[in-house]
Amino acid sequence: MSKKFSVFLTALFCAFIGGAAVISLLLPDKAFSPLENRYLQKPPKLSLETLNSGKFMKDAEDYVSDHIVGRDFWVAAKAWSERLSGKKENNGVYFGAQDTLITRVDAPDQSKLDKDMAALDALVGNLSVPVYFGLIPSAAEIWKDRLPAGAPTLDEKDLIHQLYFSAGASTIDLYGALAPHSGEDLYYRTDHHWTSLGAFYGANALFQAMGLEPLELDSYQKTTVTDQFYGTGFSTSGVRWLPPDRIDTYVPDQGVKVTSYFKGMPEEGSLYVDSYLEEKDKYSYFLGGNQALCVIETEHTDAPRVLVVRDSYSDSLAPFLTERFSQIHLFDLRYNLNSIQRYVEDQEIDAVVVLYSLPNFLSDQNLGLLAR
Amino acid sequence: MVFSTPIFMFYFLVLTLLVYYIVPRKGRNVVLLISSLLFYYWGEQIYVVIMFLSTAIDFTHGLLVERCKARGNHRGARMAVVSSIIFNLALLCFFKYWNFIAGSLADAGLEFLPTIEYIRLPFMDPIPFHLPIGISFYTFQTMSYTIDVYRGDARAQRSILNFGTFVTLFPQLIAGPIIKYKDLGDQINERTCSTEKFASGVQIFMVGLAKKLLIANNVGALWDSYKAMALSDLTVAGAWLGVLAFTFQIYFDFSGYSDMAVGLGRILGFEFLPNFNYPYISKSITEFWRRWHISLSTWFREYLYIPLGGNRCSKSRWMFNLFVVWAATGIWHGANWTFLFWGLYFFALLMLEKFVLLKPLEKAPAVVGHVYTLALVMVSWTIFAIEDLSHLGGYLKVMFGLGGVPLADGTFRYFLSSYLPILCLAAVSSTPLGRTVYRSMGQKAQYAMCTVLVAGGLLICTAYLVASTYNPFLYFNF
Repeated sequence: MSKKFSVFLTALFCAFIGGAAVISLLLPDKAFSPLENRYLQKPPKLSLETLNSGKFMKDAEDYVSDHIVGRDFWVAAKAWSERLSGKKENNGVYFGAQDTLITRVDAPDQSKLDKDMAALDALVGNLSVPVYFGLIPSAAEIWKDRLPAGAPTLDEKDLIHQLYFSAGASTIDLYGALAPHSGEDLYYRTDHHWTSLGAFYGANALFQAMGLEPLELDSYQKTTVTDQFYGTGFSTSGVRWLPPDRIDTYVPDQGVKVTSYFKGMPEEGSLYVDSYLEEKDKYSYFLGGNQALCVIETEHTDAPRVLVVRDSYSDSLAPFLTERFSQIHLFDLRYNLNSIQRYVEDQEIDAVVVLYSLPNFLSDQNLGLLAR
Repeated sequence: MVFSTPIFMFYFLVLTLLVYYIVPRKGRNVVLLISSLLFYYWGEQIYVVIMFLSTAIDFTHGLLVERCKARGNHRGARMAVVSSIIFNLALLCFFKYWNFIAGSLADAGLEFLPTIEYIRLPFMDPIPFHLPIGISFYTFQTMSYTIDVYRGDARAQRSILNFGTFVTLFPQLIAGPIIKYKDLGDQINERTCSTEKFASGVQIFMVGLAKKLLIANNVGALWDSYKAMALSDLTVAGAWLGVLAFTFQIYFDFSGYSDMAVGLGRILGFEFLPNFNYPYISKSITEFWRRWHISLSTWFREYLYIPLGGNRCSKSRWMFNLFVVWAATGIWHGANWTFLFWGLYFFALLMLEKFVLLKPLEKAPAVVGHVYTLALVMVSWTIFAIEDLSHLGGYLKVMFGLGGVPLADGTFRYFLSSYLPILCLAAVSSTPLGRTVYRSMGQKAQYAMCTVLVAGGLLICTAYLVASTYNPFLYFNF
């Protein structure tokens, strides 16, 4: 190697690592990454305790990685190079057919499931009103035909069947409601949630289980509220080469009163929150996203009152529920530590629905609270 | 701290190099010592005390050995060297083998050793007991020091700062190569830094980083998928694909770390001996071990095999010596029975080759030797990678068609098609082909190629550094 080339190579290397370090330090910190849809690591706190436990080091490593200059570029570059090297997956998200990103579902922890099912049975025992239990299969099951050939993922149909078999609650056949329509846009291509259409079929499965009259799709006018939605599959996979999704609604936001408890205090909410259409997290358009409790009152005052133990799938389901209930109480175990039993008694609830998407049910750490 | 993290690349390395090259030459070892201690403290916190302890004790022993020798007190010198060996082995055995020995005894119904979960010292909170990272590497290095001084292969280090630099030197602290004091002592005292050295260090470091991030981590994810599968979900072809993935993972991970160490060393002005020499092109197991983890095999040869008598003794004694060396090599890789079996598996194969196979292998077409070696090495990695004995047995059965599972399935085809390009890249990179092509180029073409590879490597490696959630460290057992 000639001296000149050595100097050049040394300078190239030092400029790259030194430059990245200096620019990253100078850039203002971001608290949230909209593209990745997650909060970034805060600057590590230096104390004797965090040093001794190694927490300072762990946080510092995450902080550096989260605040490196051009992070969004690096994330996309990695996804691209995985794709170019023949991979059909990145970060647990499959590159499916028809421009679809499908999150892989891994085998569950059986002992956790046993505990959660016992908590559900305890809820049934605690309440004098009927309890319905619904598990929504994910796109990995319903859109199996879009997965790369042979791609490993959990057999959700089989697991749901097993769990239903042992459950003390009445079950809602969501798989049976969704599977026949697998050719339709039941899920977003870039997000793990079901679309309003998927939620429509889900709502009818619920009504059927409860002996209520089903809804007719033809009676609705479909409205497209945005065609620029990139969801969680897009965020976690780093895949940046797909067209965005559309968000449709069917039920108009009329004649309902929504009370949201985002931070413990009641606020007036609405079925659809337009401001979210301007943000990255557009799915929060439905009811404004995660909240401890949401109470929806409708004009059908003589209809029953329902409490739904929710995950985010319930947010796009709620508009359809307004057609058959007088009150819908969406209760989130992650943020709401009140006793369900007492709440049901206080609010004179007529039926309780425990409704989760299967992957959320497998990973949620708060299901034990059902028994409270 | 490990090399393949953004904080190492963009902060630790940048700062260390900056200060290292700003301070006058005399101060550089102090800079290295401080940064190395910080490097170790970062990952191991309180365990950094071992560094101080090791430095102080081995430094004293080295001086003691030399002083005794100078006074003609050979018995004293020998006592000192033995005492130092005992200290280092005790350190290694306590942290690495205590719980294994206690657990194994308990399994045999002899529960007289308690297993340790916390180290309790006066005036301190209990310290969670674990294997300090790199302990198998650095205890071997410090052991070589007093032995080299005793044998007259090196002079005792006079400066404790310099000695501390040798003990803690961060490029090779946690994953080798194991550098003998006699090969490094002079460089610790005096070394030249130059742009040529720096630039060639950058090249080697980048090769290592790419090996680790682009190949090892990649195929490692494939092995993890197969390792986690229930035996009934495996297929014959799938089991082999999984082991092939691990075969590449361990080589590219380990040699990648070694390359990064050699490269970083050179950037700082040191010359370390290479640790791997294309092991997978070997035509026999004997040759494989001349090319694999060279610094470990040489260490065992010089400090165990030859002192035991090597091969200049009776045949039975010679076989015994080899048996000891391979049992030690096995158990060095981890405190578990499977590692002992793994070592003895190689002992058996090497015996077989020495007495029967080597001659026929030499006469046979090259392809026979390659297939023979690779197949046996892949079986060895199976033993190495699966620590649960019953799962290991089941997995081996599946590999040899005795598991009652299909030959292949959709999952196998999915993984094969997903990983085929990367496996091909790994296979080609396991041979000297790339090096041969590079060396046959004209100088201008070489410079252009080198620039493209280093610049492209920096970009792609940064993408994988920043965006990867999967970055395992394979040597926590060592």
